[in-house]
Amino acid sequence: MDTWKKVAIGAAAVVVVVGGTRAAGLWGGSGSSNNKNLSFQLPTPIQTLDISKNTDTYSGTIIGNSGANLMRVDKKGDAQPELAKSVKHSKDGLTYTVVLKDNLKWSDGSKLTAKDFVYSWQRIVDPKTASQYAYLASGVQNADKIAGGKGDVDTLGVTAKGNTITFNLERPLPQFEYLLTFSNFMPQKESFVNKEGKKYATTAATSLYSGPYKVEGWNGTNNKFKLVKNDNYWDAKNVKTKQVDVQVVQKPDTAVQLYKQGKIDRVSIANTPELYNANKNNKDVVKAPEATAAYLQYNQTGKNKFLSNAKIREALNLATNRKELTNQVTSGISTAATGLAPEGLAKTTSGEDLAKYVAPGYKFDATAAKKAFEEGLKELGETKATFTITSDADSPAAKSTLDYLQGSWEKALPGLKINQKFVPFSQRIKDSQSQNFDIVVSLWGGDYPEGSTYYDIFKSGASNNNGQFKNEAYNTAVKEAESTNALNPSARDKNYKDAEAALLKDNNFNPLYFRSGYSLQNPDVSGIILNTTGLNQDWKSAVKK
Amino acid sequence: MWKYILKRLALLLFTLFLVITVTFFLMQIMPGTPFNNPKLTPEALAQLKTTYGLDLPLWQQYWNYLVGALHGDFGTSFQYQNQSVSMLIGQRLPVSAQLGAQALVVGVIAGLIMGAASARNKNNKIDGTLGIVSTLGISVPSFILGIVLVYLFGFKWPLFPVSGWGDSFSQSILPTIALAVSPAAVTTRFVRSEMIEALSSDYVQLAKAKGLSPKEIVNKHAYRNSMIPVLTLIGPMAAGLLTGSTLIEQIFSIPGIGQQFVLSIPSKDFPVIMGTTVVYAAMLMVMILITDILTAIIDPRVRLQ
Repeated sequence: MDTWKKVAIGAAAVVVVVGGTRAAGLWGGSGSSNNKNLSFQLPTPIQTLDISKNTDTYSGTIIGNSGANLMRVDKKGDAQPELAKSVKHSKDGLTYTVVLKDNLKWSDGSKLTAKDFVYSWQRIVDPKTASQYAYLASGVQNADKIAGGKGDVDTLGVTAKGNTITFNLERPLPQFEYLLTFSNFMPQKESFVNKEGKKYATTAATSLYSGPYKVEGWNGTNNKFKLVKNDNYWDAKNVKTKQVDVQVVQKPDTAVQLYKQGKIDRVSIANTPELYNANKNNKDVVKAPEATAAYLQYNQTGKNKFLSNAKIREALNLATNRKELTNQVTSGISTAATGLAPEGLAKTTSGEDLAKYVAPGYKFDATAAKKAFEEGLKELGETKATFTITSDADSPAAKSTLDYLQGSWEKALPGLKINQKFVPFSQRIKDSQSQNFDIVVSLWGGDYPEGSTYYDIFKSGASNNNGQFKNEAYNTAVKEAESTNALNPSARDKNYKDAEAALLKDNNFNPLYFRSGYSLQNPDVSGIILNTTGLNQDWKSAVKK
Repeated sequence: MWKYILKRLALLLFTLFLVITVTFFLMQIMPGTPFNNPKLTPEALAQLKTTYGLDLPLWQQYWNYLVGALHGDFGTSFQYQNQSVSMLIGQRLPVSAQLGAQALVVGVIAGLIMGAASARNKNNKIDGTLGIVSTLGISVPSFILGIVLVYLFGFKWPLFPVSGWGDSFSQSILPTIALAVSPAAVTTRFVRSEMIEALSSDYVQLAKAKGLSPKEIVNKHAYRNSMIPVLTLIGPMAAGLLTGSTLIEQIFSIPGIGQQFVLSIPSKDFPVIMGTTVVYAAMLMVMILITDILTAIIDPRVRLQ
């Protein structure tokens, strides 16, 4: 028995010593090395630092903070020259001329030139690179051709002469200045990329940086690394933070606890309604819209005759109580949708939120809905209708969304029967694109802060117009916005307003909610710029008191 | 014995071939492609498929994979841009292996101690308590225990860090305990029953008659014989640790092979899914082989054929 006693006492002693010294801060943990350092958390490991190939939001956060581009979005949401001295465009909007600032340098001290930008644009459209974001360059001369394997990268409409870069476009692009802020178009140094070969951007050491910070300590798989100030950045004097610690914490509630212990400076609480409800009254809560819209698409190919009927679609839209749905499904984290383009996406010329300006007046009216439904059925000579709503099985809000729609619609519209169908995310995309659905719940995130990132969806024949409807008034308005008014923001805003009105008139789709996020943020931290598209958190000017 | 080992190795290769084949064709049934962005135009999608060789006929993709695998080339990840599967797994496997080994050592040692204590105190309070503890240990899944440990020792009494890996040894303590509980419980129960049997056997009676102390009897005679079933358990236990660690790695944000396996499935990162499955299968089979050989060495009654 003695041996066992000894072992037990020994084990207890080890636990006490280990725990005690740990608690005393003698070893382990991230601890508090320097409280001027910022400390942020990512919910998934980063996948790459490859500027051209990245598609992941969180890898994008790291790439965007360690890289610079011709322009950078300021705290008002406007694109301002960054590495560019000036950005000018021709009257027809087909030529952009960008002059670089003098003495630009890479993080290794080598010269950063106009050629590095040309190379980066060529690299992303090059089919050999296999970037999933090559389509972002669409509209630049020959970009689509090259990406489709039918042209040489040298024919791309991006050229350099001295410190001047010229962009030739096939059509005016209202969003072009925002493309110049995008992390996927940041400069890359050809000789460096070639030298690193297959290892390029797979670790911190095999990447080169042009931005406010350099990445250190990322070996390709580890969950903790840091961004340190890049002294070769052109605006280094305005980067006040010397180091940003980044760690991956995958469990959202663990991350919130770490925030409460003061170990990280900002954390999302919007992952689940439970987490949000438990923390929504915390004094550190800040809101962060996401520019993501959830909406229903109606199959209007004739596959389901009821949904091809305008009255029936009107009835479904009128029977949708978006406010109640948003409260029930997202616990009020998100906002009830007012149209296609979500809040926080863009601003009008007068500074109003675009979503607010274009809102055509979707409303909830159960009585009118019932009447429209009866009229629709009469037109079709039917007494009842059955639809199936398809949604992602993997999204946490899916089941409650469908439950709510089924319950409220069946109650408001006698004779209607709703079936629910859950499929994996990729199957939903496939079913949507092959019109294998009656009604499908879709989610769309914007690529850039300009209306066309949304209004392109429903152009006739567009591959994401999954309901395959044709709305002439809508087409005309969007086409005008993207051609005649491409360089006239206020006329474009008006076009988008007309487009939204046309969608409501025919009830071609049904907006549900605009997804929002809420975070806890250390009140001592200021200067983080939040963007709903592009770089989601810009830490360049972030400081901790 | 060498002949036996060679035979088993040949069988291992054949099984790996079967695993590759089945996994490869099962993955084809999974809906969607690795390029799930609905914004990709059909032309761009076709171009991507060509670049990654996904437009080739299935048999050709399968053949290319087999040829590549024979040359040690398991392809390039779709999700982790530019990174080869061998590199990804090579960096992450040691992390999982360390975690698994720590858990196995802690679990088996704790089980040996508790099992012996239980047997020697058969049917009294100590035995009863340990019986309850080991039943709980077997029934509570490691990921539940992991979350409870995070709550208790990460937040309620913040003694240990709750996420990350490699900065300090302390980060590995909670995940190790969470994973070790199940092997500890299993070992306890086996050692207990084996030792009870051993303690009532003739050779122990003889040892008692010789006048050896109870301590010597246990240490010199009973333990050795009770070890055999534990050894046969190590293979399956190690396999359990491998699968159990996928969730533990998620909970504690540990950059191991399990975390990567879990993340690669929804993103349809075919090469990573394939590579990880092959590695898992190979490890499991090697573990079972080692167990068989060890059993033969310890127990001369077992003959390998």
